[in-house]
Amino acid sequence: MTAALAAIVALAVLAAARWEERRLARAGAVRIARSTAAYFAVVTDLDLTHLFAQARALATLPGWVWPVEIYHGTAPLVDAGGAPLPAAELERIPEWRDGAALVPLRGRSDGAPPILGVVAIRPARPRGVAGLWPGWAIPAALVAVGVAAAAAAGRRSRRDCIVAALLLGLAAYADVRGAARRSTNEWLTATRLLMQEAATRLPGPRIRVTLSDLTPMILGAELVWADSTTQQPRRARVRGTAVAVVAARLGSGRWADLRTSPAEAFTGVWLVGLLGLALLGPLGCAALQWGQRTAPGEVREAATAWAFLAPAGLHLAVFSVAPMLFTLYLAVHGASGGFLDPGRPYVGLSNLQAVVRDPLVWGSLGTTALYALYVPVSTALALAVALVLSRPGRAALVLRAAFVLPVMSSGVAVALAAQSFASLGARDWLGSPRTALLVVMVLSIWTQLGAQMMVFVAGLQRIPDTYLDAARVDGANAWQRFWRVTFPLLKPIRLFVLVTGVIGAVQMFTYVYVLTGGGPLHATDVVMRRVFEIGWDSLEFGRASALSLLVFVLLLGVTAMQFKLLARVGRVEHA
Amino acid sequence: MASVTLRGLTVSFDGTGHAALHDLTLEVLDGELLVLLGPSGCGKTTALRCIAGLEHPAAGDVLIDDRVVTRVPPADRNVAMVFQNYALYPHLTVGENIGFALEVRGTSQADIDRRVAGVAARLGIAELLERRPDQLSGGQRQRAALARAMVREPAVFLLDEPLSNLDANLRVELRAELVALHRALGATMVYVTHDQGEAMTMGQRIAVLHEGRLRQVGTPAEVYQRPADVFVARSLGTPAMNILTGRARGTADSAEDRMFEAGSLRIPVALPTYEGEIQIGVRPEHVGVCAVDKGAGNGDILIVELLGNETVVHLNAGGQPLIARLPGLVDVQVGTRVGLKVDRRHLHLFDASGMRIS
Repeated sequence: MTAALAAIVALAVLAAARWEERRLARAGAVRIARSTAAYFAVVTDLDLTHLFAQARALATLPGWVWPVEIYHGTAPLVDAGGAPLPAAELERIPEWRDGAALVPLRGRSDGAPPILGVVAIRPARPRGVAGLWPGWAIPAALVAVGVAAAAAAGRRSRRDCIVAALLLGLAAYADVRGAARRSTNEWLTATRLLMQEAATRLPGPRIRVTLSDLTPMILGAELVWADSTTQQPRRARVRGTAVAVVAARLGSGRWADLRTSPAEAFTGVWLVGLLGLALLGPLGCAALQWGQRTAPGEVREAATAWAFLAPAGLHLAVFSVAPMLFTLYLAVHGASGGFLDPGRPYVGLSNLQAVVRDPLVWGSLGTTALYALYVPVSTALALAVALVLSRPGRAALVLRAAFVLPVMSSGVAVALAAQSFASLGARDWLGSPRTALLVVMVLSIWTQLGAQMMVFVAGLQRIPDTYLDAARVDGANAWQRFWRVTFPLLKPIRLFVLVTGVIGAVQMFTYVYVLTGGGPLHATDVVMRRVFEIGWDSLEFGRASALSLLVFVLLLGVTAMQFKLLARVGRVEHA
Repeated sequence: MASVTLRGLTVSFDGTGHAALHDLTLEVLDGELLVLLGPSGCGKTTALRCIAGLEHPAAGDVLIDDRVVTRVPPADRNVAMVFQNYALYPHLTVGENIGFALEVRGTSQADIDRRVAGVAARLGIAELLERRPDQLSGGQRQRAALARAMVREPAVFLLDEPLSNLDANLRVELRAELVALHRALGATMVYVTHDQGEAMTMGQRIAVLHEGRLRQVGTPAEVYQRPADVFVARSLGTPAMNILTGRARGTADSAEDRMFEAGSLRIPVALPTYEGEIQIGVRPEHVGVCAVDKGAGNGDILIVELLGNETVVHLNAGGQPLIARLPGLVDVQVGTRVGLKVDRRHLHLFDASGMRIS
């Protein structure tokens, strides 16, 4: 039973790894085909004569290992006896067909260039001993299943199972990573060959090839003059970023480095995924064994509990834990090239340094602190309103709803409404650095009042009437009853409202974004808007993450301080 | 000290249309401990809250020492109240709780400290003044609440089931303490309870309330011995008084007596003029057992409770449930049939509506 489960999981790991390897191989072939198509466009006019000659030449190029076919229209040129393309497909060429990557050859004209032919590239088959190597994953899978079977028979411990599963995950990942590396290397090699060939075959009166002549073939990768001598693809770091490089000889003594981001840099998620998938084996085995030891009712109960927990847990993991971890990761990596740039060198604390040295950051923290001063004001107002509206009755209910309306409305809509109000009078409230923040604060008070009031109303209704009765019999007047009884008894509620209010104030972004964009003269540039600007305007995601973490730590400190200062006298129990 | 008078007090709560108090007229004498007794929902707490000023009557008046205080706020009535859950302010220490009423009245701090210390010493909680209410035991909280009331030296003490949250032993102990305190203070106290044991042992007089109406007022002995109606009769004494429903009709033997028949029982009662449906109350201690067919009737034994000093026997007397309380350990068997004796000197006669026939 457990061995079967282990086998199923091992097969799943193998299948996942194979799927990704195949995808990488296809993607590599497609990339080579696109470079090849660009090559033909560069070196020929795409007329039949030129194409025919160059296609034959390419197929016999030393070092070129990818089975290639060039179609002129639908007619194959390399293997003239081969099957022509179906005519109907020429208009809508699939990227992948019958084990070959297909890329159209387009004529050079503006607008929608006509499709003149098609380049078809098949992935290269490994030759020699390398072709016999089944990869790391298959032996590792056999080991993992064997260990699981032995563990089921009691000859291996659960720890061995876990180790074997981790090995399986690592082995499968090694295969995926190898395939990714191979795919990059193959493209580099193929493009190097194409560039070198192109350098000798460029049409027209040219003495020397220029790099810009070759640009179409490199598909957005980087091509720079260099003085390398080895023509094997290699890995290097350029400005802290990992790149895959190959040197191409573009004439005697003229070398150029072709650099691209290595495909294996994108495979990190597969390491996590494959390890997780492989660990399902021991986990499932443990669950099975637990199920066999435990009473069926209890098993059902546990399964039900986990089933109910799973959606929330998944949501938490995907939308809370993962972004937090990603932020941590980004904060110590150079992510200057945008959000999805894979080239993210580890930079340690330099992001944080940059953030701390940025006077605008400190300015925004000061603005945020100033802005947060609205919280005590809105808290006091909310308490006052709650005191008036906490008594039962229809009128109070309607008024409470009215106060809560801004809370339920969209923040952007509320901000836009406030904008039209602010521009009503003679004075441009939002346009002046002296008053813009005040407008945002007033707006925040208005929107927060309802939510805080509702919390206070709930808190007031939680206070037993007997305390107030006792105070009345004791002779306390209305103010004394509030100040000496109600107010102290509201302490936990006040603390909650204040703490959540300050946290919300520090996290505020919407109003400033909609109303002022941080201006004028940074007067409303709160820290979250600064995070946004560093991230999305400057595309410095590493620094933006570092600042987010800084704010998080500051907020943690402020909250802890609030608890310490305001909650010193333990909890208040209604004795 | 002061007397309290309720004059035609009627309280109705909004919405229900149900009156919590109906035309309640009652006088609490100066220095008296009066117990308001009744089941929950009978209006006894409402009456107390009216005296305190926390509830406003729809009709009628509250008088304290002949002063009409119906519309006077609680603060100006010079009454102190001890709440069922004590209502000690949880955020204040015991000392602050006790001194609260003095503080809000602007008494000087030295004066407050002196009086708080004095009352705390008297109640034996002097060492607890720095604690908070949630650090006290039930009995300590009770004393703290009492101290809070006492420190003001009010004209009237209002106590709303102050012992009901305590366990049985502590309740008996504090019951005696409260009585002693009342005697020492000589204060007027209105004590609300649903516990007839507390009412009997503590009250100088008992006022029995039922469904918002006053049923009877009197000393514990009066109320116990001459209950005004069936409800009052069953409110006092455990096990409660047996109430037998049957008919009284004339006999050939005597013109003075009527024969009461209920189930298997035939009891001669001294009722010269009465004819028809009647209820007879007889306390369990006035029911005895004898040989079959030798008594007023026969009964089947359903349950026997051996309590050591007495034996409580539950019987079925021809369809009428009956409880007998026999002194000592009595050897009777469940399921057997016995004869029943009823002490004719201790019969309570009620008419069909439950009112006493004197």
